[in-house]
Order: sequence, then C-alpha cells, then structure tokens
Amino acid sequence: MVRVKSRYLLCEINVTDRTRLLLLDDRAVAAAVRAAVARMHGDYGAALCSIRFSVKYLNAHTGIVFLRFPKRCYRLLWSALPFITCIETRGQKIPCFLNCLHVGGTIRTCQKFLIRYNTQQLHRMIPKCKNEEEKQEIQKAILNCTLTRGNKVAFEDELESEKDDDDDEEEEEEEEEEEEEEGE
Amino acid sequence: MSVFMDLNLVYSPDSSRLQRLVETAAHLGYSTVAINYVYEPTAKKKQDIPAPKPIKDLIPELPIVQGRSRPIRVLNRLTVMMSDSSHFRATAAEYRGFDLLAVQPTTEKLFHAACMICDVDIICISVTEKLPFFFKRAPVNGATERGVVFEVSYAAALRDSTRRRYTIANSTALMESCRGRNVILSSAAETPLELRGPYDITNLGVLFGLSDGDSKDAVSSSCRSVVLHAETRKTASGIIYTVQHPEAPPTKTPGDTGDPPAAKRAKPGAVIDS
Repeated sequence: MVRVKSRYLLCEINVTDRTRLLLLDDRAVAAAVRAAVARMHGDYGAALCSIRFSVKYLNAHTGIVFLRFPKRCYRLLWSALPFITCIETRGQKIPCFLNCLHVGGTIRTCQKFLIRYNTQQLHRMIPKCKNEEEKQEIQKAILNCTLTRGNKVAFEDELESEKDDDDDEEEEEEEEEEEEEEGE
Repeated sequence: MSVFMDLNLVYSPDSSRLQRLVETAAHLGYSTVAINYVYEPTAKKKQDIPAPKPIKDLIPELPIVQGRSRPIRVLNRLTVMMSDSSHFRATAAEYRGFDLLAVQPTTEKLFHAACMICDVDIICISVTEKLPFFFKRAPVNGATERGVVFEVSYAAALRDSTRRRYTIANSTALMESCRGRNVILSSAAETPLELRGPYDITNLGVLFGLSDGDSKDAVSSSCRSVVLHAETRKTASGIIYTVQHPEAPPTKTPGDTGDPPAAKRAKPGAVIDS
C-alpha cells in the first residue's frame, strides 16, 4: 500500500496584540495562505495549492497552526508564506506573520515537536513569573506535558491522517494553553 | 551547529519599538542582531555621521534567545549610502564606534571601488529600484576573495508588489555573478511584524536564486564570517588591538594588597605532601 505523501508545516502566528488571536478561524488562515500563494506564484501556484492543501489544526490561544501541503511542491508553496502580512477575519484585518517552526512528514511528528516546543515556552515563562503560585502552576504544567496517555497505539494507526486526528492533541494543548494564559 | 543572525534591524529613535524588534528577533531564534544606522551624505549640506548608542541604554535587559539559554547579542552597524567616492572616508574616526560597516554603492564605478578597495564588511544591494548597473564578475570575485559579503534585505519585498519584483530581480542578477557564495539575507525591518523566522528565510532564498545549502549559509555561517571579518578590520588580523585607556590606572604598590601574587602563594597540595 503506497501512501499519499504530504508535508505538514507547523507554523506560529505572531501578532502584536495577543487578544486578537482569538478571532482567527481556520478558514481565514486558509484563505490568507491561498491568496498569498496566488499573489506570489500566480495561477500555477493557486492550482497546486488547491489540490491537497488544508489547515489541519488551529489553536487560537497560542496561534499555532498546522498546514498540509502536497509533498511534491511544498517548498514552492512555503516560499509564499513569508509574504503574508495580515489575515482577514470577520471583517477585520489582523496584522501578523507566520513563522514556520517545524516541517514534518506526518502529523504525529509535528505533534511531538509541538509538545516539546510548548514545554520550552513554559520554561521560558518561569523567570517572568510574579509570584510563587504562578511559578508552581507552570512547573506543574511542565510535568503534565507528555504525549502518551495510553493511546500511543491508536495514534500510530492513524498516521495516514486523512481523518481529523487532532482531537487528542487539542485536549492536551488546551491544558497547556490555560497555563500559558495565566503565566502572561 | 549554526546559529542564526539577522544583521540589519533599522535603528529608530523610539526605543520601545527597537526593544520590541529585538525581543521578536530573540523569540524567532536569532542569536545575533545588528542595529543599523543609515548615513546618507548629500552634497548640499554637511551631515554628521550618527554616533552609535550603547546597547545597554537602548535595551536595558537583553531577551533570552529561543531554544538557547543565553541572551541575544546586539551589534551596531553603519550603512553609508555612497553616491560619490568622497562619501566613504576609510580612516574616519566615527566609523570605529561601529561593529559592522556597510556601504550601498549607487553607480558601477563605486560598486567596483567598494568591492576592490574600500575597507568594509558588507555591500548592500539596492532592492527598492531597478538596478542601475550590472554586476560584473571581476569586482564580485574580488569582493569574495577579500571576504566582503553582499546583502539582500527582504523587508521591502513584503511591502508591495513592485518592490518585491525589484528585490527578486536584483538578487537573481547578483546570484548569477557570485554563484550564491558570500551572500547574506537580512531583514531591514522597521517594525516587529516585518521580521520572519530563520527557516522561512532559508526557504525564501530559493526565490532569490540561492541553492538550498547557500541559502542556509546566508542566514548562518556567512553572517558569522562577516562578524569575524569586522573584528579583524578593527584589529591587526584579529590578533592585536589597541585601546585608549580612559585614565591612568591608580598606582598601587604590591605591598598594599592583602594577598600575595599567585606565584608566591603556598600551594595547598604541596603542604599536604610534605
């Protein structure tokens, strides 16, 4: 059985005002990416971008987004991403930029990376804590950052990732995110 | 293991903005950034070369680099817009305050001079207008041999379509003559939103006509060699340098200090042995 190969880009949406991140939804991000590709690479790029491109996951709290591109042309499509300067959603323009953190062949490797990355972010937050309680809460959150909770086997079966297999991640991320919000 | 550098953050008198720029750069994973002061001499009136502000005054607390445990390193850089050969004075004392020295030549003759003669680290390639001259092989090769690098900045390309075309056109023209070596990619960002992550820039290099390996070098090892080149410019081949002592050191006789010099101190190990 030959698998249809894709590349998953784990990107971080950077904005100046973090509260506006909550306005984002995956359709807006997809539209922004499509527009940027069409602007940079014309009809050819737009055609490539229409095949198997999708926004797999969006975390509006941290601004993390998973993009799926066909493996054949992901570099071309990726080269258009730096030219995104704002995302339009609900009639508002949010000035932002995408920063690619990781490129993976499966969604699972991206998830692993993301958990490690978020742990790192929590570590970076510790020196900024104002009081002891916050510090302890972050330390507790760091200890909770693990991938496996008995569903490892199930995950490996889902590598094909045609289904939406992000539910488990979301739960985990959500937990971390709550901590992060408090830390800031 | 290479570290990423962004050797062009535009200086602004607004220190909070500059601070946010440096913070964003640290968040993106750049371990070294340079604050760029642009000096544009005009024929009509005499201007002063801007003096670099000490980094400590600009940014009181340096942010920690993403993925590392050490704070970001901030350098000062001067860019001289050269429209006449007299604009660049090789021995000016003002240049000594800056860590990096760059020129942006506007004519072919000046480009030749900048590549072959001028004692600089970086030659900027104009990205906001159509290139007024061709890059000839001879000066480009000369610059490569001397360790001078060419800089392409991408912030202008993010702003509008025409400048994006000029950026891509000029950089591909440059890559044809220098074959991807001794090129650095930098941001020239004025606001934090104009910065991009190092991996994005590596991939962006493909658009600018660089190969995979060369574009990675363009944000990492080439930048490192520029910084080292700048250090050798200040010193005698990077070995000896002179500094002026601000004041004469207070005279002290050896008897004043409580501790005897290290050589005369009794070795603790020797005592136990005997």
